[in-house]
Amino acid sequence: MRKVLASFLTLMFIGLAAGCSSEDAGEAAGGKTEVVFWHSMSGDLEPVLNDIVADFNQTHPEIEVKPVFQGTYEEALTKWNAVAGTKDAPTIMQTFEVGTKHMIDSGKVVPVQTWIDKDKYDVSQWEKNIVNYYTVNGRIYSMPFNSSTPVLIYNKDAFREAGIDPEKPPLTYSELKEAAKKLTKKKGKETERYGFSILNYGWFFEEMVAVQGGLYVNNDNGRNGDATKAVFNGTEGKRVFELIRDMYRDGTFYNAGQNWDDMRAAFQAGKIAMYLDSSAGVKTVINNSPFDVGVSYLPVPDGVERQGVIIGGASLWMMKGSSEEEQKAAWEFMKYLTTAPVQAKWHVRTGYFAINPAAYDEPLVKDEWAKYPQLKVTVDQLHETKSTPATQGALITVFPESRQHVVKAMERLYEGIDPQEALDQAAEETNRALQGAGR
Amino acid sequence: MNERVSPVFPPAPWSVRTKRAARQAAMKSWLEGMVYLFPSLLLFGVFLFYPLGRTMYLSVFHTDYQGQPTEFAGLAHFVALLQDDSFWHSLKATILFAALTVPTTVAVSFGLALLVHETRKGIGIFRTIFASTMGMSVGVASVIWMFMYNPAIGIINRLLSAIGGVPVSWLLDQDTALYAVAAATIWMNIGLTFLLLLAGLQNIDPSLYESARIAGMSYWRQLWTVTVPLLSPTLFFVTTVSLIQALQTFGQIDFLTKGGPVEATNVFVYAIYREAFVNYQFGSASAQAIVLFLIIALVTFLQFRFAERKVHYQ
Repeated sequence: MRKVLASFLTLMFIGLAAGCSSEDAGEAAGGKTEVVFWHSMSGDLEPVLNDIVADFNQTHPEIEVKPVFQGTYEEALTKWNAVAGTKDAPTIMQTFEVGTKHMIDSGKVVPVQTWIDKDKYDVSQWEKNIVNYYTVNGRIYSMPFNSSTPVLIYNKDAFREAGIDPEKPPLTYSELKEAAKKLTKKKGKETERYGFSILNYGWFFEEMVAVQGGLYVNNDNGRNGDATKAVFNGTEGKRVFELIRDMYRDGTFYNAGQNWDDMRAAFQAGKIAMYLDSSAGVKTVINNSPFDVGVSYLPVPDGVERQGVIIGGASLWMMKGSSEEEQKAAWEFMKYLTTAPVQAKWHVRTGYFAINPAAYDEPLVKDEWAKYPQLKVTVDQLHETKSTPATQGALITVFPESRQHVVKAMERLYEGIDPQEALDQAAEETNRALQGAGR
Repeated sequence: MNERVSPVFPPAPWSVRTKRAARQAAMKSWLEGMVYLFPSLLLFGVFLFYPLGRTMYLSVFHTDYQGQPTEFAGLAHFVALLQDDSFWHSLKATILFAALTVPTTVAVSFGLALLVHETRKGIGIFRTIFASTMGMSVGVASVIWMFMYNPAIGIINRLLSAIGGVPVSWLLDQDTALYAVAAATIWMNIGLTFLLLLAGLQNIDPSLYESARIAGMSYWRQLWTVTVPLLSPTLFFVTTVSLIQALQTFGQIDFLTKGGPVEATNVFVYAIYREAFVNYQFGSASAQAIVLFLIIALVTFLQFRFAERKVHYQ
């Protein structure tokens, strides 16, 4: 026993010594430009990101990118707020799409356009609809990185059982209602399977408004001057809320709460037959469901022309406080991320979009699409999007707060309140936040 | 108390005690005291007094997103709070939450402690089981409860359906959410409360029970006349601490409900967190924190003023 312990301790010491010396080596090598990269990729996503970074570091010996996980987007942003402008700030920061305006207004970032111009980099190779979101006043502020859109996910086996063609998922509200009615299965007082569900999360509401061409805030979604007023309580928003209200009343809509995992668990357990999810979750859902999974576009109200979807996800920001050398290294890294092979790997292993559409021609993607044809649907939906202020998405600093108010309004719907009243209150609370933000 | 403190420097027989020397000695003893206190003063200063002062300062300012004061606000944040429905709502939710959790936690823990108080073969197993929730972090415990409450796959609804009941969306229904979180919280808090009460019970002199038995007292009479009075310092401590803890609940709310549905579980500390770290309104969040501080101070004062009279110190 003692021998075992002794050898174990010895091993530990060796390990420690080795650990120290390798760190020393890193410092001694010097000359390397260090790029600290804060990100929010957790779970299955983090190892993929780390792999990509490791490949980059290996092929670029003069640069050392250090990825640091900083919690959810919200948490990371709070931490960043505390250190922005100091030497503790990272060189690259990943922030979610709704933080765009916040980052620009902070004045602590360098628009990537600066480096695009310096390097005469050709951005036409990037996915236009993704770049649009991050283009403000004609300049690309941040490097799109992980982008996703909402999709309708449905249980094909349940469709067959209910006598609906599994290759013809509902595209309009009335088709959705009808399908949900057929898919809902009751046993006594208990509902065994619900037809449809939407997570109580502001993003889905924003998307369902945008797909109809509706705006979230005034001044062209805040892209033509600062937004001063919420307009999501107009016709388009009302249609969405009425849909939820009607379906909930019919007993075909399942209230899944605010937790993504709860909703996915309910779908995989066969408790709901159709629901909205992020395209980035598609692959995991397909792998984990014990039945055939279909993926389709967001439904639109009857007689309304489909405008397309807003890009969700996150982008990479470059910090003003870092040296010219660090910025250049960061730019090198960003360029590397957008190359077709890297994007192909990223798309295939995560389900996020490729920023660089050339990635879709890579054999890696082609093989994967043959295996998971559903992944292609998400890309098609993005490609068919018309670029308008509605589908570019709203630019406001108080987005996280506004989303809370929308979530509350969705929850009040289940309590039986009038859709218009719930929306008006959320809009008014958003207005108050918008006015307070100017200070 | 004072007469028990011995002078730090007993007057040496050979010294001439002048007033100045006495003052010097007092100064020296004060300094020495400070040296001993320094580590804790430093920690308190850094982690308690400075943040408290800073919070008070921020509560009268508007701030930017980095939490830097930009413009003097006076009492504007406090006035806005008092006029805000959701402030009163969250106050009500917090009080209800405390009322649901504190008495139940103490009562259940007391019952469990009584059950395993006596020494029997294998009693250690039960003591360990009853105290075990103490070793679980709020995060882990919340995730366990989240799965149990899950309306689609949770065990609670499965059991309900098995006995012919209708499944309930525990955390998604305005009427049940706060009770559901309270039940989880009671379970989480039982471990420590149980352990403290058990330790209190073990400290009671067995000869008192012996005398009670000789006097022919029933079990319940013994409980009421011997156990409760002698355990009262521990009961008082446990209640005070649980109450403060209940008023500061955060973790399980963040995990289980995020303050929803329709703010039904938006308790005070969670509301403060959202205001500061989601909405970046550090000024008004600080004002709310000050209000919470005053409420807790008041409640604790009242407890000491009234409840402590009933406490029997040996």
